[in-house]
Amino acid sequence: MKNLLARTRLDRRDFLSASAAAMSVAATGVVPKVAFGAEKTVKIGFLAPLTGAVAAWGKPGLDGCQIWADWVNDAGGIKVGDDSYKVEFISYDNEYDPGKARAGAAKLIKEDGVKFIMMLGGDTWPGVQPIAENEGMLVSTLLPSDLTPNTKTLIAPCEVHPIYNVTGVEWLAANKPDAKKAVICAQDDALGKPSVATYLAAFEAAGIEVVDDPLFFDPATTDFAPVMTRLLSTNPDILCLDTCYADYVHPLCEQAFQQGFKGTIISCTADFYPKIVEKTSKEFMEGFIFQFPDFDDPALNQPGVNFPKPNEFYAEYAKRYGEAEWGAVSWEYASIMDLWADAAGKAGSVEPADVLKAMKEGGTGKHAFGDAKWWGTELFGIDNALVGNWPVVVIENGKAVIKEFRSIPDWWDKHKDLMVKHMTALGQMWNQRG
Amino acid sequence: MSDLILQTIVNAVYAASYMSLIAVGLVLIFGVMGVINFAHGELYMAGAYVVVALYAESGMPFLVAVVLGLVFVGLLGLLMEISLFRPLRDNPLGGLIASIGFLLILQTTAVLGFGVRMAHIPPPTQEKIELLNGVVLTHQRLLVIIASVALLSLLYLFLHRTKYGWAMRACAQDREAAALQGISLSQVSRLAMFIGAGLAGVAGALTAPLVSPTPYMGHSVIVTAFIIIIVGGIGQLEGAIVAAILYAFVHTFVTTFFDGVIADITGLLLMLMVLVIKPTGLFGAKDRV
Repeated sequence: MKNLLARTRLDRRDFLSASAAAMSVAATGVVPKVAFGAEKTVKIGFLAPLTGAVAAWGKPGLDGCQIWADWVNDAGGIKVGDDSYKVEFISYDNEYDPGKARAGAAKLIKEDGVKFIMMLGGDTWPGVQPIAENEGMLVSTLLPSDLTPNTKTLIAPCEVHPIYNVTGVEWLAANKPDAKKAVICAQDDALGKPSVATYLAAFEAAGIEVVDDPLFFDPATTDFAPVMTRLLSTNPDILCLDTCYADYVHPLCEQAFQQGFKGTIISCTADFYPKIVEKTSKEFMEGFIFQFPDFDDPALNQPGVNFPKPNEFYAEYAKRYGEAEWGAVSWEYASIMDLWADAAGKAGSVEPADVLKAMKEGGTGKHAFGDAKWWGTELFGIDNALVGNWPVVVIENGKAVIKEFRSIPDWWDKHKDLMVKHMTALGQMWNQRG
Repeated sequence: MSDLILQTIVNAVYAASYMSLIAVGLVLIFGVMGVINFAHGELYMAGAYVVVALYAESGMPFLVAVVLGLVFVGLLGLLMEISLFRPLRDNPLGGLIASIGFLLILQTTAVLGFGVRMAHIPPPTQEKIELLNGVVLTHQRLLVIIASVALLSLLYLFLHRTKYGWAMRACAQDREAAALQGISLSQVSRLAMFIGAGLAGVAGALTAPLVSPTPYMGHSVIVTAFIIIIVGGIGQLEGAIVAAILYAFVHTFVTTFFDGVIADITGLLLMLMVLVIKPTGLFGAKDRV
């Protein structure tokens, strides 16, 4: 028995022989791929909140990107110079925390070798800024309020949050002229404050009186009854929910319903709005104005909209994740990838500096909702925000419907002084932010 | 103006009700076992998710789901006592750290089971009572108020009229002396954990349709609960109830008449003021030498 055991044991020579053989097999399996260069992969970083209160503006975007990657890769990848690249997304959950965002950016750049990073931005951008600048990494944000003259490699190519909110107010003023008194509430953070300044400017431009100081609440608030009691105490016609997170919009609407509000609600987003309808009523939610359409809307098929196959994208999203999971950002990061892929193709390179140069060439770009221009010097100190038309969405009979596309630059040309005034008053101009 | 004040009082009574349930549970656990249970907010969250699972997803009657929420979270408390706090009975710091670990386990379990986003719970009722012109109290909020008063009254009777209640109060006063009188510390600790956790669970279950549960909803609750028990006097049940009412009224009135952020600052200032004037809290007694 002892001899048998001894003979079955692997000795040093056998081990080395076996290892060498295994390495040879592995090498023969790898070498041809490298030699023929049939398939290259470009890695894209997705650095956004995937958990926590702000996850609704991260996770649905990653889900949308997976659809984008599957469609692009199934079609052979993106063409860059003579090569075709498959696209691989590497995600990192920053939990909307600047420290975790910094760690995520370091990992994505130094370990994973990504060529582009997409972020939500806001409170997490200051954590990423030093490493992005040092490494020359191209980074996108959904929040152009992150832009300053120093953020040369940061772009806001999809959302000009919160500036597009002016289109909703402009539409409201034109279509509900009797609504003249508004109140605003927002969470006290980097998303809430610039949005409050924007709504204040838009209401002033539209001749709508804001009858009480904007009410800021702690992001940790769970009981919104006192907030709504205060808001409704002035009998407003318009209840503005600013850029409140989905976790706040739902209970705020429920409270407004329970406390008997009869006017018009306007909000930047209404993520998962069918659930709000379920908790209130179709009648209560009728006429709710916001800024983010469902992509099954036929209005998105009209000429000028650059997002490819929006209705098919929505159908695929609903099939994979459920219709109720569609949110404001489900399409946004995918639309940024369209711009990036187009620029990489033009540049013949996936390197960040080349892609950025190609993207901004001529000062214009193909935004999801139409042709747009790179803009922002007067507000952000740098022309790194892509701005054009934005849809105004209204809930009708329990379903979001695009009512109109309105031009943000047209509003800006007429009322920019008001915007600068209110942004300055709330300390939100680029040279005021810490 | 009188309507606004009355509506604010109604809002404050509701807030005081569920905060009392949570704070009393936390105080009970600390008083009897000497453990600061950092997972208490997550026990509240677990109660809310019992309602998500049984009422929103399985169609069970809401009140049955609430009762099962109390029992389930009470059993979670028992599990904590047996697996974490009993082995670390002589190491309060160890118990605190173990409760942080349990907090993360509960959060992760909720994420894995229900996802990271807020859960949607259809309202069990949309009925409301109009107290005055424009002053409303929904049936859902009224239920929370009634249930809180009933449960806290039952707890009072239990603590003052039953043998087990006396034993728990004895342990809260002096554990060594209680043990010398033949009271089983293990048995009393198990009971305290069941009741304390159950109160947090039932608070979560009752308020779940009003708050849209998320796996992270325990954070804000635990901070408020700690402020309340510090103001009331650590380990003082009556103090926790009075402090919950005081905090809820101050916070709700300041939110309504000033700002939600100022209300948070005022709550912290209230705690600081009590610590400066009466460091043992409103109902706390000085330690004996």
